[in-house]
Amino acid sequence: MAFGTYKEVVSARATDKAIQKVAQDGGIVTALLTYALEENIIEGAVVAGNTEDAWKPEPTIAMTADEIIAAAGTKYTFSPNLLAFKTAVRQYGIEKLGTVGTPCQVQGIRKMQSYPFATRFLADKISLLIGIFCMENFPRASLQTFIEGKLDSQFDLTEKMDIGKGKFWIETPEGTKGLALKETHGYEQAGCNICQDYVAELADVSTGSVGSPDGWSTVFSRTDAGADIFTAAVEAGVIETKAMDDVKPGLGLLEKLENGKKSKGKDECARRAEMGLPTPW
Amino acid sequence: MSDRKVISPTSRQEGHAELVMEIDDEGIVTKGRYFSITPVRGLEKMVTGKAPETAPVLCQRICGVCPVPHTLASVEAMDDSLGIEIPRAAELMRELIISASNLNSHAIHHFLIATDFVPDELFKTAVNSVETIRKNAQYVVDMCAGEGIHPSDIRIGGVANNLSELARRKLYARLSALVPVVDNHIELICNLVADGALVKDVDGTLLSDEREVIPKGLGAIDAPVFASDRIYGKRDFFDLDRFTEIVPEAWYDDPEIGKRCCTSVPLYDGLAVETGPRARADAFFNYKEKGVVAQHVARAREMRMYLSRAIAILDELDTSAATLADFDPRGTGKLGIGVIEAPRGTDIHMAQVKDGKTQFYSALVPTTWNIPTMGPATEGFHYKWGAHVIRAYDPCLSCATHVMVVDDEDKVS
Repeated sequence: MAFGTYKEVVSARATDKAIQKVAQDGGIVTALLTYALEENIIEGAVVAGNTEDAWKPEPTIAMTADEIIAAAGTKYTFSPNLLAFKTAVRQYGIEKLGTVGTPCQVQGIRKMQSYPFATRFLADKISLLIGIFCMENFPRASLQTFIEGKLDSQFDLTEKMDIGKGKFWIETPEGTKGLALKETHGYEQAGCNICQDYVAELADVSTGSVGSPDGWSTVFSRTDAGADIFTAAVEAGVIETKAMDDVKPGLGLLEKLENGKKSKGKDECARRAEMGLPTPW
Repeated sequence: MSDRKVISPTSRQEGHAELVMEIDDEGIVTKGRYFSITPVRGLEKMVTGKAPETAPVLCQRICGVCPVPHTLASVEAMDDSLGIEIPRAAELMRELIISASNLNSHAIHHFLIATDFVPDELFKTAVNSVETIRKNAQYVVDMCAGEGIHPSDIRIGGVANNLSELARRKLYARLSALVPVVDNHIELICNLVADGALVKDVDGTLLSDEREVIPKGLGAIDAPVFASDRIYGKRDFFDLDRFTEIVPEAWYDDPEIGKRCCTSVPLYDGLAVETGPRARADAFFNYKEKGVVAQHVARAREMRMYLSRAIAILDELDTSAATLADFDPRGTGKLGIGVIEAPRGTDIHMAQVKDGKTQFYSALVPTTWNIPTMGPATEGFHYKWGAHVIRAYDPCLSCATHVMVVDDEDKVS
């Protein structure tokens, strides 16, 4: 089955205008985490917070809605959120923890929950795990290279980054600029080339822009916990939804991209195996 | 005619030790010798020549029962050697950690003595009570020290992190709710100890189905008490000039035992001392009862003191304050002393740092102090009480001597 195990898929967006303004697409991650925090489903969340350095996210423990909203928006470089888990459940005293991660981070968290070595009394405290769609991720230096070297723009002044319609986009004070995705190839993290998970198949809820119109996100509710929180957020009016069949471009595009990632990943695994290199799959 | 009764190894304690009792015709112990047969301690050597930060990390591995007191004693010794004054909030956090850790450890001891004292119909109650106390106490250690078992966040210069307000409020609420549980637990243990214990022969055969009341004076010994503080431990207490250490051959009047004993014998003012909960109660609360019952009662009552102190600290702690001091890790070669009141007594670590490396390290741990005291404490009573005397002192041999099993086939028999 395409997209892994899920109960329901819809197109959705946050109704809160403040979230819409700062969100990457539909603001689903921000809306769900803030809703879960306000309803005491979680006591805090580890999010990819902004730092003084441009586009250098750091795992940040958010214990208020404002702190979650401050971390909204996609960063195309890694925030090692798992690093902050222990601090969150120890010194911060969070016993119901929410977090957001890329598919590989979600896999790591699930593995940690299955084999909690060195994560005693930690793995069981993750109450909400939101996964984001991810084709690939870039080291920060790669982003700086495209933006300064290929787009002739200033990295520090970049306001937003986005990937869509075959291009890597930046918004700057001087307008929007796009770079063909093929120009970014070779700059991604090496591990992304063998990854076969596009839609965070092991998350409670996974979300991303692909398949939905601008300003909206495609959302998979996967686990009981994820479906309960998502349904409650919709019923509370925090999130509005549309049926996937009613939106363009729809699941067809998502499936095409997912299949592309899976087959490329398999090919790369096979290539590495032929060279005698280890692969996780 | 005299005979010899041997329990080897003595049971329901951490590590391996042997109790050799010489008895008269009536089975009364005329000479008791207790000694560790857990061989080789080497952690002090492992930390020598390494960065000072290595010592607390390795020394907490001395034992899984007392990783917290050993870490604290280690960082205290390093703080002293490096001339560090830790922030007030760190002092409070460290005291909170030891209070919770000792509360947990005393509860563990009640598991160990449960089959002696707890009748079947109360077993579940007692176990639940121990479990509730341990769960909550270890939660405090988890939050303040990073890990309940091998704490990552007790550092030279303080503790790694302060608590968040949410964590502080949670811990305060949980420990406040634990007060009646601990009160009931102490009453339960004290009453059960007063009711008496099941008595066994040295081979473990039950001598009677009925519990026998513990004889008055059992386990009492006239040794000076060795205790530095009510709760945390005071560095100034330990005067190195009053300390001597002799080889076991010089202490035990049986050459075979002297040879097999794996610890040296520490003396203070030339005497073997008593350390632990009763010693603390004697030194600081004028509690003059002695022996097995007094050990159990003093240990149980300490649980309430630890809990009260932990709650008071959580009330006082400023969660926005810094908990880690800056320091120069190079050191001047000063001999640093760290003194912590561990569950089983006064735990002393000594460290000397120079040129950024540990030059000298030594740990004088609670059970090492008590080993020469416990044997004679069995004297004057029937040998069937010997194991009870030892368990009342709650020895823990794995820090008294540390072992690395290199070859499982060739372990001590």
